[in-house]
Amino acid sequence: MSEKILQVKDLTVSFSSYAGQVHAVRDISFDLCRGETLAIVGESGSGKSVTTKAILGILPGNGTIEGGEILYNGMDLAKCSDKEFESVRGKKISLVFQDPLSALNPIMKIGKQIMEALVLSKAATKGEAKERALELMRRVGIPQPEIRFNQYPFQFSGGMRQRIVIAIALACNPEILICDEPTTALDVTIQAQILELINEIKERNNLSIIFITHDLGVVANVADRVAVMYAGKIVEFGRSEEIFYDPKNPYTWALLSSMPDLDTKEQLFSIPGTPPNMLHPPAGDAFHERNQYALKIDTREAPPFFKVSDTHYAATWLLDPRAPKVEPPRVLRERIERMKRRAAEHAGQ
Amino acid sequence: MIKYIAQRVLALLITLFIILTIAFLVIRLMPGSIYDSNEMLSADMVKILEDKYHLNDPLLVQYRYFLEDILLHWDWGTSVAVQPRVPVWEVLASKIPITLQLNFVSLLISLPIGILAGIFAAIYQNTKVDYTISFFVVVFISVPSFIFATVLQYFLAYKLGWFPIIYNATATGAAKYLSMILPITALSFSPIARVTRYLRGELIENLSSEYMLLARTKGLTRLQATVRHSMRNSFVPLANIIIPMFTNILTGSLVVEQIFSVAGVGGLLVESINSSDHTLTIAILIFYSMISLLTILIVDLSYGIIDPRVRIGGGSNG
Repeated sequence: MSEKILQVKDLTVSFSSYAGQVHAVRDISFDLCRGETLAIVGESGSGKSVTTKAILGILPGNGTIEGGEILYNGMDLAKCSDKEFESVRGKKISLVFQDPLSALNPIMKIGKQIMEALVLSKAATKGEAKERALELMRRVGIPQPEIRFNQYPFQFSGGMRQRIVIAIALACNPEILICDEPTTALDVTIQAQILELINEIKERNNLSIIFITHDLGVVANVADRVAVMYAGKIVEFGRSEEIFYDPKNPYTWALLSSMPDLDTKEQLFSIPGTPPNMLHPPAGDAFHERNQYALKIDTREAPPFFKVSDTHYAATWLLDPRAPKVEPPRVLRERIERMKRRAAEHAGQ
Repeated sequence: MIKYIAQRVLALLITLFIILTIAFLVIRLMPGSIYDSNEMLSADMVKILEDKYHLNDPLLVQYRYFLEDILLHWDWGTSVAVQPRVPVWEVLASKIPITLQLNFVSLLISLPIGILAGIFAAIYQNTKVDYTISFFVVVFISVPSFIFATVLQYFLAYKLGWFPIIYNATATGAAKYLSMILPITALSFSPIARVTRYLRGELIENLSSEYMLLARTKGLTRLQATVRHSMRNSFVPLANIIIPMFTNILTGSLVVEQIFSVAGVGGLLVESINSSDHTLTIAILIFYSMISLLTILIVDLSYGIIDPRVRIGGGSNG
C-alpha cells in the first residue's frame, strides 16, 4: 500500500439538539492512500456526510468533534483553529457537493466564482486566475468557456453546474477531493459522464478521492476501496472486489441485495425497519434489530473488527470462531456469481 | 425591455385614472359643499363657484367637466378655503419640500441603523444580541409612528425640555434642525424595524445556504464568504423593499406632521378635508398616489437591473 495521505483515527462527532446529544459519528477510523479512491457507503443518516464535514472543518454550529484525530500532513485537523484551517480548506482538501443547483451563488458570474478563491488567497493575479479558470472550464468539459465565463448559474444545466462545482474544487490544485454524493441530484446519463470526469481528473491530477454515496452501483465504477457505514460506525471495509464479491457483514449483504439490477427476477429486497435513533444508539450491534442473522451477543456487545484478509475487515460476530456458520442470502450469492461471470467476460474481451 | 416598461407605464396610468375617479366621487359625495366653510360669500361668488365646478349638474356631467379641465387644460382648480384663489398645485408645491425633507432624512437614517442591526441579529442568531434586537423590532413594527411621536413629544420635549415641542418653521440653522429631530425620530422607528427584520431573515437564509458552504470549502475565510456571498445576496432583495418603504414613511408622516405642527403636505391634507376644500384634497390624493405608483414602477424596473436572473433570463424564460 502506498503512502497514507489522510488518516482518521477514532473520530467521534456529535450534535447537540433540544432533545439531547445526537451521536452522528461514533469512533470511526480509516485512512486514505495517495492516488486512491475510497468510497464511504451507507444509507441516509449513517454519518457519511458528517465525517466529510468534520474533515473540512465545516460542521454546523451545534456539531462538535468529541474525540479522535484527523491527521493530514502532520496537522491534526480535528483540533485545528479556524485560522489554521484556512491553509488547508480548498487549497489541499476540496469538496464537490451533492446538489449543484444550490451550491453555486445564483447572482455571481460563473467565472468569478471559479477565480474567487485564487484571487482572494493571493495565489494568483486576476489575469492569471482568469486563464486558470478558463483552462479548468475546458478541462471539465464546458464548451465555449470564454462565453460561459461571463454567464450566471441559472444559464447552466444541472450536469454543467456539477462540472463547474468540480472546476471550483480543483481551482487551487488540491491533493484530496471529497465528493459528497456528487451524482445523486443528476439523472442517470449525466451521472455516468460526471463519474467518468472524476476518474479522468483523478488520473491527471494524481488526486486522492473520498467518495461518499449510498449507491453501490456508482461505487463499483469508481472505488479502489470501500468502507460501509451504519449508524455512525464503519461496519466493514476492504478493497472494492472484496466488498462486492466476498462481503462478510450482514449489513453489507443487505445493501448489496437491495441494489436493483436487470437479472433479479424476484421482488427487490429491502432492509426492514428504519435506522436507529442516534439520540440513543442501541447497545451492542446497532444493526441487530433489523438483522435476521443477529446473534444473542449482538444485543449486548458491539462486535470488534475481525480480519478477513490483510485489507478486508468486518465488524460482525458472525466471524467469531464460536459463531454458527452462516451463508449470505441466496439472492446475493446468485448475484455475486453473475457479477463475477460478467467481470470475467469483460476481462476476456 | 421597452415593451415591459411600456406595459408598466400603461398599468400605472390606468391605476391613476381609477384612483382619480374614486377620489372625485367620494369627495363630491361627502356631505357639505365647497363654500360651506366660508359664511361670508356673496350670492354672486356662490354663483361663480357653482358655475366653475358645474355643481348644479348631475354628478357624471361634473365628472366629465372635471376630466376635461385636467386633460385639456391641466386645470386642477383653485383652492377655495385653505389659500383662496391660489391654484392647488401651487399650494401643494409650497408644502412639499418640508415633507420630503422629513421623509428622506428619516429614510437615510433608518437604512444604516436597520442594516447594522439586521446583520448583528443574523450573525449572532439565537443569542441575547438577536433576542434583544428582535424584541425592539416587534415593538417598533407594531406600535404606530404617531404613538412614538406623542411619547417623544411628552417626555423629551415637554418634560425634559431637550427639544422644542413643535416644529419651528421660522427658525433658521441649528434651531430649525433641532426642532426637526423629534418628528424624524418618530418616523424612523418603523423603517428601522422593517429593514432589520427583513435583512435578518434574508441573511440567516443565505448564511446557511449551500453556496455559502461552497464558498467556505473553496478556501474563503468566514468573513470573506459572509461579505461576498451572504451579504451581497441579501442586499439584492433589500433594494426592493427600501423603495416602497418611502411610501410607508410618507403615510406615517400624515399624522406625525399634525402632531408636531409641521406645515407639510400631511397637515395640508387634513386641513383641506376639514375645510371642504375639495379640489385641493383631490390634488393631494393624486400626489400621494403618484408617489406610491412611481415607487412601485421603480421597484418593478429595478428588479430587472439588479437581479441577473431577471435581467438576462427575462427575455427567454420568464
